[in-house]
Amino acid sequence: MGSSHSMSEEIQELAEKTGFTSEQIEHLHRRFKQLSGDQPTIRKEHFDNIPDLEFNPIRSKIVHAFFDKRNLRQESDGLADEINFEDFLTIMSYFRPIEMNMDEERLDHFRKEKLKFLFHMYDSDHDGKITLQEYRNVVEELLSGNPHLEKESARSIADGAMMEAASICVGQMEPDQVYEGITFEDFLKMWQGIDIETKMHVRFLNMETIAQCH
Amino acid sequence: MAALPARPRVHAASPDPLVLPLLQAAGAGRDLWNGGREPPGAQCVREAVGEQRQGRLSTAGSPLLQALGAPALPGPSAMFLLLPFDSLVANLLGISLTVLFTLLLVFIIVPAVFGVSFGIRRLYMKTLLKIFQWATLRIERGAKEKNHPVYKPYANGIIAKEPMSLEEEIKEIRRSGSSKALDAPEFELSDIFYFCRKGIETIMDDEVTKRFSAEELESWNLLSRTNYNFQYISLRLTVLWGLGVLIRYCFLLPLRIALAFTGVSLLVIGTSVVGLLPNGRCKEFLSKHVHLMCYRICVRALTAIITYHDRENRPRNGGICVANHTSPIDVIILASDGYYAMVGQIHGGLMGVIQRAVVKACPHVWFERSEVKDRHLVAKRLTEHVQDKSKLPILIFPEGTCINNTSVMMFKKGSFEIGATVYPVAIKYDPQFGDAFWNSSKYGMVTYLLRMMTSWAIVCSVWYLPPMTRQPDEDAVQFANRVKSAIARQGGLVDLLWDGGLKREKVKDAFKEEQQKLYSKMISGNHEDRSRS
Repeated sequence: MGSSHSMSEEIQELAEKTGFTSEQIEHLHRRFKQLSGDQPTIRKEHFDNIPDLEFNPIRSKIVHAFFDKRNLRQESDGLADEINFEDFLTIMSYFRPIEMNMDEERLDHFRKEKLKFLFHMYDSDHDGKITLQEYRNVVEELLSGNPHLEKESARSIADGAMMEAASICVGQMEPDQVYEGITFEDFLKMWQGIDIETKMHVRFLNMETIAQCH
Repeated sequence: MAALPARPRVHAASPDPLVLPLLQAAGAGRDLWNGGREPPGAQCVREAVGEQRQGRLSTAGSPLLQALGAPALPGPSAMFLLLPFDSLVANLLGISLTVLFTLLLVFIIVPAVFGVSFGIRRLYMKTLLKIFQWATLRIERGAKEKNHPVYKPYANGIIAKEPMSLEEEIKEIRRSGSSKALDAPEFELSDIFYFCRKGIETIMDDEVTKRFSAEELESWNLLSRTNYNFQYISLRLTVLWGLGVLIRYCFLLPLRIALAFTGVSLLVIGTSVVGLLPNGRCKEFLSKHVHLMCYRICVRALTAIITYHDRENRPRNGGICVANHTSPIDVIILASDGYYAMVGQIHGGLMGVIQRAVVKACPHVWFERSEVKDRHLVAKRLTEHVQDKSKLPILIFPEGTCINNTSVMMFKKGSFEIGATVYPVAIKYDPQFGDAFWNSSKYGMVTYLLRMMTSWAIVCSVWYLPPMTRQPDEDAVQFANRVKSAIARQGGLVDLLWDGGLKREKVKDAFKEEQQKLYSKMISGNHEDRSRS
């Protein structure tokens, strides 16, 4: 069958680029088709069909992250209108679990990639810094929907957290020094020595196949 | 009457003149054929025809005997060959139609009328199962030989989901993230990890949208519509599939359509006739039997093989029968085993004709389109019906929409507020023979019915559960959930809290806010503690 042979070549390519196994890619492809309604690309509206996602307070940030060109490893900036399957896999690859046989360098790179994904989620204006306002936005979104929580409390929580971040990154500040925002290096500093990447992955169930495709 | 000649020398059996052309075609008449001479059969046919015209019928075979003794006449043998060929085709057609109708009548309609079963359908089911097993083994073997991957579908999803709750997970993240004291948690950057991961997990695989597409099979049942992974493997399998298509479309489909037509028209005519009778025991008796008979014919029209369990729990008068909903066929399946009053909206078209005819014989509860919106009116009419003990049990499907039979979704509380005894019924279809789920966004009613009638069979099990009543300390929603769990447990279906209406609408905002409230309570509650101290 000619078509299946070229498809398995494509799958091989994708597997090398993104690091998923070919079975996982096939499963994700089925999911992609289900989400996109059998079309070759996904748009933002297609994510509206997932009821469980409505629960999530940072839903819009997550969906946004899929279309963020910085996450898609494209040179340009800004937002894409629609993504194809390869882009979908690229985003999903940020959540791959850590493999046992990774060496130090790869592990470090992996971790940086994951944290960069998260950084982009916070940094909504793409200027490379998380400012106080952006931080406040995230906190408000996470706490939104609770009628008992006033906006002021959300704000003060954000301010307090920002102060802490500043103290970690810059140390003691002068009274008139302005902390502009958390850069990516500062962001990394905050998570140094802490195993956050073990919490930022999605594990696939062990899938048996009857025959392997090489 | 022609005089019988002296016994000639015949070295073959003397056949009936009408059958002779067939025999000749089969080569049996070779012995009688003399090269160049006109075959004796021709003359005997002519003679038989001539005898009939004169009003005299000779005994079968005597014209032949005469012909054998008579001198052979040269004649157009070609003309002879054409004549019986036409009648051959006509004969075959006539024979097959007669056979079809006899089959229909003897094996299907008559047992349906009396409610007995010959067990033909179960034999059919067993044969099919053996063939499917062979087909699946063949595919697996073929796939191994050619090194194609063959994927088994996963009903439980493809992701390992953490069974921890929101609170526990966030505590864990914070514990691994910070070295601060844990008794004063506050918002941290790391909290976003949990939501981010949950979000990506649901994008990869979620519980709800799975329920609205047809269940995936582990073996192939020779229907190309369930053929997801299986490619061309062997000639034998393709031939078998082609044979299956032929049987299903050319033999089973016309048979089923004829039966369905019979069933529906009998229902409409029968109930209209019964409706003319005066109210009384006689009318009720006849109505019940007309209904049952027609539903049984419809069941056979779909080749539905149903196993009823625990029939002693069948619903009684003054009760409400509640079942999980997979397709419109559920109604036929339940109504062929019991006499129910249906509840529903009046439709137009054929459905409306049936509804209007049926209500003449027996008090079903039909609502106009405008009345359906008024919940109080609906509840009032249902309560009135239920309180009259002489009226039949009502049949209701509280999910409100068709689910794909792997789970049971939220029951709407309306029918549980009425206060009558509830008789739960669990229906589970076996998708191996034909998937009964009606995906109303994908297929219209007619397409769906055609798909049903071109499947192998509809196999299902029906369990009648013991009756339940609402306890004094529970409200309608809790009662509905209790009934739902019982049905899900019995049928082996997953019990979901989700609303079946999600097939068409979005999540209600009330649900969305639940989780947000929980999370923000965790943070703000502690924050308030801190600011107070």
